[in-house]
Amino acid sequence: MMKPTLATCTLALGMAGTAAMAEAPAAEAVLTTYADIAAATYGDALTGAERLQAAVDALVAEPSPQALDAARRAWLAARVPYQQSEVFRFGNPIVDDWEGKVNAWPLDEGLIDYVDAGYGGPTDENPLAAVNVVATPQFEISGETVDATEITPALLAETLHEADGVETNVATGYHAIEFLLWGQDLNGTDPGAGNRPWTDYATGEACTNGNCDRRGAYLKAATDLLVSDLGWMAAQWAEDGEARAAVMADSSAGLSAILTGMGSLSYGEQAGERMRLGLMLNDPEEEHDCFSDNTHNSHYYDGLGIRNVYLGSYTRIDGTEVAGPSVSDLVAAKDADLDAEMKTKLDATMAALARLKTAAEAGFAYDQMLARGNEAGEALIMGGVNGLVAQTASIERVVDTLGVGDVSVEGSDSLDNPAAVFQ
Amino acid sequence: MIRRSVLALALALCAAPLAAAPADIAEAVIDRHVLPGFARFEAAAADLETAAEADCDPGSETLRTAWGAAFDAWLGVSHLRLGPTETDNRAFALAFWPDPRGMTPKALAGLIADADPMVDSEAGFATVSVAARGFYALEYLLYDPQFAAPTPYGCALIRAEARDIHALAAAILADWQGGHADLMRHPGPEAPYKDEREVLKAFFTALHEGLQVDVDLRLGRPLGTFERPRPTRAESWRSGRSLHNVTVTLAALRELAMLMAAEDPASAAALSADFDRADRLAADLDDPVFAGVATPQGRLRVEILQQAIHEIAEETRASLGPALGVAAGFNSRDGD
Repeated sequence: MMKPTLATCTLALGMAGTAAMAEAPAAEAVLTTYADIAAATYGDALTGAERLQAAVDALVAEPSPQALDAARRAWLAARVPYQQSEVFRFGNPIVDDWEGKVNAWPLDEGLIDYVDAGYGGPTDENPLAAVNVVATPQFEISGETVDATEITPALLAETLHEADGVETNVATGYHAIEFLLWGQDLNGTDPGAGNRPWTDYATGEACTNGNCDRRGAYLKAATDLLVSDLGWMAAQWAEDGEARAAVMADSSAGLSAILTGMGSLSYGEQAGERMRLGLMLNDPEEEHDCFSDNTHNSHYYDGLGIRNVYLGSYTRIDGTEVAGPSVSDLVAAKDADLDAEMKTKLDATMAALARLKTAAEAGFAYDQMLARGNEAGEALIMGGVNGLVAQTASIERVVDTLGVGDVSVEGSDSLDNPAAVFQ
Repeated sequence: MIRRSVLALALALCAAPLAAAPADIAEAVIDRHVLPGFARFEAAAADLETAAEADCDPGSETLRTAWGAAFDAWLGVSHLRLGPTETDNRAFALAFWPDPRGMTPKALAGLIADADPMVDSEAGFATVSVAARGFYALEYLLYDPQFAAPTPYGCALIRAEARDIHALAAAILADWQGGHADLMRHPGPEAPYKDEREVLKAFFTALHEGLQVDVDLRLGRPLGTFERPRPTRAESWRSGRSLHNVTVTLAALRELAMLMAAEDPASAAALSADFDRADRLAADLDDPVFAGVATPQGRLRVEILQQAIHEIAEETRASLGPALGVAAGFNSRDGD
């Protein structure tokens, strides 16, 4: 039964009072821009993954220091568009259900390849934490023998990934590839990334740490899988794609999806899980891109993606812009002050994340920022956290002002049945 | 279309004030739930510090009882993740759980192996990894066989933990009394809370997040999947408190829900019945650490309790939220 509520009063009166404001774009146009940005962002992520694939093929075919370096650079470049796509994750079940294949983290990397003695062995939570598939053609998962003589995309995706129901068994995606390109970062909270030698992929006598052919096969399988997974997601946002259709089906639910993605990524995921928790644990392994020391960029481009969808503008990797009617336009038409507040908060977050990125690029590694008692590092990270928390409050006001309903439970494990207030 | 007609109805009825005055509800929540809850927590944490000073043997019954009482008091306010608990990441430091990567035993073993001198000062200990601080770290020190033998460093560590918990509790209480309660009593366009609805929304979000933690974490983690139940992922199983923690949090969440539903008899009655049912299921469960999740029958009983708490959350969304004119906002559980 429907009760009149304060929320409906606010919305109704708000709408009645919009005559003097700028004309609002149609919600459909705003949703189209959002879907166009998603299509472009995943398209660019796919392009980046294809370039990575070419570099990995070259490394495996003809291993050399230059080839490993080129593959690492391709990986770093590929992350730029992908991280900007994370804002699509929490509001869109089709993305959230798929995301674990490509960006699962953190991982027990000992599942994949050799690790330092200090890594330890199997843990209470994960008996497979130190399997080392690269060195082990046959092993057991929950009592069943696995034949890993051939390392194929199917083996990674269907048998190894999240094996035994353990989330840290990450066998696929960016971070598995990152580990295979960089290796463990053994520098603790000192500067320096992983330092895997190119000879881990060398043939014959030159091979270091054993099983270079199997390591190459794993790297290639994981990269091929990344390309096919991103190709699938890009297609979901194409003109006739399912993700686009889902967003366009209902304008209130579509707007709710946009704002849910913005708020959940800002608050619970980025400010909480990824930034604050790592800082509070003083743990360099809590870095999001811990092998490559690329975490500052990972945070920065996550933040940028949030701003992209609010402003309705994305700059592609070829420099062209995808832009159109935006959530910002919609808010400005109803409450210009709130739109200004939202933009100010998004800009403040980007400024804070840029400070963090700048310091990291100048040599102050994210690992060092996390170290116990490093006050300057803590201030840089908390600057980003505070910006993200503050913008979440404004996103909630936007939710109220647009009257798009309940965004609170999207992405939760069990309470994943968001119901609009107006249903 | 439903939407249109609702808007028309809303326009027609806006003039009629709600029976529930948002300011009165917020005042009642602050005065009868938040402030007394944090005062009880501070007092219990002070007792814990005193008990640790008096006897730091991990096996000491007095110390364990004081830890349990302080933990209960914390669980009574742990859903209020706003303002003073978030300042300086205090709630993170008090309650680092779940811990899927086993950071707590690792961090504690690291402190002990290094005989880390950070335990000597309150300020120093405040810089230690949150995995080695708070109620869950202290539970390891008091109940895990790995840390059972009394040692001088272990004693200093236990005292540092208790002192740290009390310092955090005192700081949270001081901030509530010294400013945050007033901020919530006096919302305004230039203030952090713009209007009374934002204040209610903050409490409603806290209620919702609290229920979600019980469903997803306290019960969801040990349940795992049917094929792969995870009894050792239960919260506080070392001290045998897993079910007890659910019961304590339900009592606190009921108190908050009833205050928020005070002006809405229909929601209040429905919620009261829902809480009664969950309490009854918890009381009858007879499975203090959810070990039963490993058997089909035991699992079913835990699932029924989980479903009952889920229904409370659904009830708050379906009736209480609309009556108050709020929906839950984003919370720290959004995301992975």
